[in-house]
Amino acid sequence: MQLYLPIAELPLSLFLLLGMGGAIGFISGMFGVGGGFLLTPLLIFVGVPAPVAVATSSVHIAASSVTGSITYWRKQAVDFRLAAILIVGGVAGTIAGAFTFNGLRKLGQLDLVITLSYVTLLMSVGGLMFVESVGALLDRHRGRTMTPRAQRVHRWYESLPLQMRFPRSKMATSLIPLIVLGATIGFIGTVLGIGGGFLVVPALIYLFRVPTSVVVGTSLFQILITMIAATFLHAMISQAVDLILAVTLVVGGVIGAQFGARAGQRLKGEEFRILLAVLILLVGLRFAHDIIGQPSDRYSINTTELER
Amino acid sequence: MMRRALTLIALLSSLLSAKAEELVLAVSTREIAITSSFTGAEVSVFGLIERDFTTVARAGSYDVVASVQGPLGDIVVQQKSRVGPIWLNTDKLRFQRVPLFFSVLSGRPIADVLDEEGQKRLKLGIAHHLPEGMQSGAFALALQRLRGEENALLRDEKALNFVRPNLFTLKINLPGKAPTGLYVVNVSVISEGVALKSAQTGFVVRKAGFDAFIASTARTQPAVYALLTILMSVLLGWLANIAFRRD
Repeated sequence: MQLYLPIAELPLSLFLLLGMGGAIGFISGMFGVGGGFLLTPLLIFVGVPAPVAVATSSVHIAASSVTGSITYWRKQAVDFRLAAILIVGGVAGTIAGAFTFNGLRKLGQLDLVITLSYVTLLMSVGGLMFVESVGALLDRHRGRTMTPRAQRVHRWYESLPLQMRFPRSKMATSLIPLIVLGATIGFIGTVLGIGGGFLVVPALIYLFRVPTSVVVGTSLFQILITMIAATFLHAMISQAVDLILAVTLVVGGVIGAQFGARAGQRLKGEEFRILLAVLILLVGLRFAHDIIGQPSDRYSINTTELER
Repeated sequence: MMRRALTLIALLSSLLSAKAEELVLAVSTREIAITSSFTGAEVSVFGLIERDFTTVARAGSYDVVASVQGPLGDIVVQQKSRVGPIWLNTDKLRFQRVPLFFSVLSGRPIADVLDEEGQKRLKLGIAHHLPEGMQSGAFALALQRLRGEENALLRDEKALNFVRPNLFTLKINLPGKAPTGLYVVNVSVISEGVALKSAQTGFVVRKAGFDAFIASTARTQPAVYALLTILMSVLLGWLANIAFRRD
């Protein structure tokens, strides 16, 4: 059954869309990530114009973070004070991101920026994660105990002015690095159509030593608010949010997420991280292939600039 | 009495100058609505080649060719080249005001009906609709090839069907990605490689129903649209949490 998408202006199979939403939901439920870094490329791959893919992904991420946020909130695993500070930066980054996105779209460079950013971001994060998790797995096999990576040293950025205490996260730091972190994630997320959970979670753990018990809930809540802002700004500035596409993806996504969450519980920590790292690397390689391999056709039509 | 005199005058004058054929067209629909189940559409054009006893006698039978020209828009064709280790779009060419849909309809291979010169005169082919001075070259060729792959340029050699020697139908197949706007159909009657008469008709493709509502709200009231979308996503996420709660 075909479904016409009014903003993307093309018909796509309803079952393909539900299936894609379901698959992304399964992966995000399994790994506790938003899945935007997979959804946006998939949408572009099936023919949705890049701006519509990016803008609509933010709706999907917002919806799936609502589900996750409520679960963690009920378990009291959200540091609302920390989330609020990240959101202040996040919303500022989102505003800058939405204007940059529209500017690049007008310049005709959006596709290139999206591809290059995906390659660098996914390859570096995936690579680091892979090395780290394989190392941890090998250590465990040799019977060594994990050496705590984060030592109790106060780092320079933590002693900057505007100090604040975060009792829930058992730490105290300057607000400046937190706002910068939030703004960076908000900016990247808005331009690339990702939530940025796979950046926020390691950053909070390794840079600020936030306990793992509150880190996922806090990150989900921060992503929820940032993606709501991104949805609003994309709809206002580039007008590329497709409501029909969003609804089908979300419906598929929430169902897939439930099965994913169940499957995820059977995985051990390190195996789980290796799988996620491989997944991220594969998406990165797919994008790298687009720009490194000899193109089958040297000419293409810029759909981003196709004015109707 | 007066009327009879007038008829006589008309008859006499027509006898003096041999008339060419008249072409009368009717289109099956004036408006195609794109709704959520839209996957493409078929439009029929009915044509009657009128002749009376004053019309010049023709040795061969009639043939018909037609072009369907969709709304105009800009198309940017880009070319990749190697920059260091990667391939980038380094060159691009903007074709302004090009038909975003174009199809050539006939009953048999177009080359059998009209020679190159005749095709050019009737502008049968997207190349004749590209901006002046940009009708040939690598970019123009790439545009034709790529738009053809996207079904935005079609060549249908089985679109024509003669019901009577002077009565025909043309079938226009519109793809699901058909752009919205005005479509102009140019029909020409051909005999022995010469275009005798041309006539024009057309139809409109527009979004309708819920899809039209969504598209227009997104454009005219983006704030309302944005809030609606956010409300929907929060509501669905919340419902999912309730539906699948395990504690």
